[in-house]
Amino acid sequence: MDTDELPEAEAIRLAQQGNASAFERLYRLHNRRVYSLCLRMVGNTAEAEDLTQEAFLQLFRKIATFRGESAFSTWLHRLAVNVVLMKLRKKSGTETSLDEMTEPDEESGGPRRDFGTPDLRLSGSIDRVNLQRAVEQLPPGYKAVFVLHDVQGYEHNEIAEIMQCSIGNSKSQLHKARMRLRELLHEAMRDKAREDRKAASAESGGED
Amino acid sequence: MATITCKDVLDRLDSWMGDDPPSDVQAHLHNCPNCRSLVDDLKAIRREASSWRAEEIEAPSRIWTSLKSQLEQEGLIHENGRADAAKTAWFGGWLAELPRPALAGAYLALLIAGAFALSRPANKQANEARWLAASEDSTLPLRAQLTAEQDSFASFNNENPAVAASLNKNLAIVDNYIALCEKSVQEEPQNEVARDYLYEAYRQKADLLAQMTERGENR
Repeated sequence: MDTDELPEAEAIRLAQQGNASAFERLYRLHNRRVYSLCLRMVGNTAEAEDLTQEAFLQLFRKIATFRGESAFSTWLHRLAVNVVLMKLRKKSGTETSLDEMTEPDEESGGPRRDFGTPDLRLSGSIDRVNLQRAVEQLPPGYKAVFVLHDVQGYEHNEIAEIMQCSIGNSKSQLHKARMRLRELLHEAMRDKAREDRKAASAESGGED
Repeated sequence: MATITCKDVLDRLDSWMGDDPPSDVQAHLHNCPNCRSLVDDLKAIRREASSWRAEEIEAPSRIWTSLKSQLEQEGLIHENGRADAAKTAWFGGWLAELPRPALAGAYLALLIAGAFALSRPANKQANEARWLAASEDSTLPLRAQLTAEQDSFASFNNENPAVAASLNKNLAIVDNYIALCEKSVQEEPQNEVARDYLYEAYRQKADLLAQMTERGENR
């Protein structure tokens, strides 16, 4: 059988024996998702490439220990998320747990309560650039859950397995991530409106 | 219909975000511009984020090239998987004729030696003598165990000449691979993979001899 057609389970079995073609097959099957995850998490192609390579390297080093208790893709994503979170922790210069990588409400410790303001609507003003910019500002824990759920389409039970947390925790992190994103996007909108006003005022001042 | 509060809407958001809201939430949203704004915003964020899914792209090919080179350097992969499979089948057929414990020991030794032979160590270091000494120290207890097992096996040889002939043939195979591992460690003492394989080869031989002796005692 051509290795390009090898079913995943067979590729795993052969890779456990050190077969180079089987390693390549597994890489081809999963590299898009892993690379996208890394790219969305760090927002930088060079770093995303390094992290993708590191995640697969860790996977292949440990593949002999894979016994199929969880789906292979879940296992791989867990490794990839851990690799990215480690990188983000190093960047921020702190060793923190997943729970600490979030921003609890200062008073209650729970999610921030934000019932919205009717005068500022994001709908229609969100695009890839400003959303990506806002995602980059999220704390790592929020970012991971948001990318896994809203971008990659994983369910909360799968995210709980990948992140090794409870389903409730995954739901709560996602809610906080979306609320924080909304705040960040509103801030960006306000900043842009302010700049536009300044530019208009400078323009009209120049005409006088 | 029971009226719900803004807090209720927020608490229940996750349960219906992907679908139409339940009727009581709909009624609340109709009358509450703040909640309507919030829900519209969150839906817009979710919509934009999910559109990224279709944009997943292949990672640059240099990642696989670099990854493969790293895996080869660490001795984790070997080329020509199909050729290896054919060799394994040939050995499998030949070894099928041999007693089961001998088969297990010899087969493991072959795998170890095969992987070892294909491992490509990194740069040579200047401190080879130190590595070699460390390697000898680490295998000393095993080599002592091996000598003891060989003594026990010698008495088994005398009592079971026919079986012993077959087993000796298998032991010779394992010994050949041990010799290969030892030679490689001598040549490249800093190669940790080589030392691991040598250690494992000794261990396999000790296990094999122990199994043989046990088998002889049970006859």
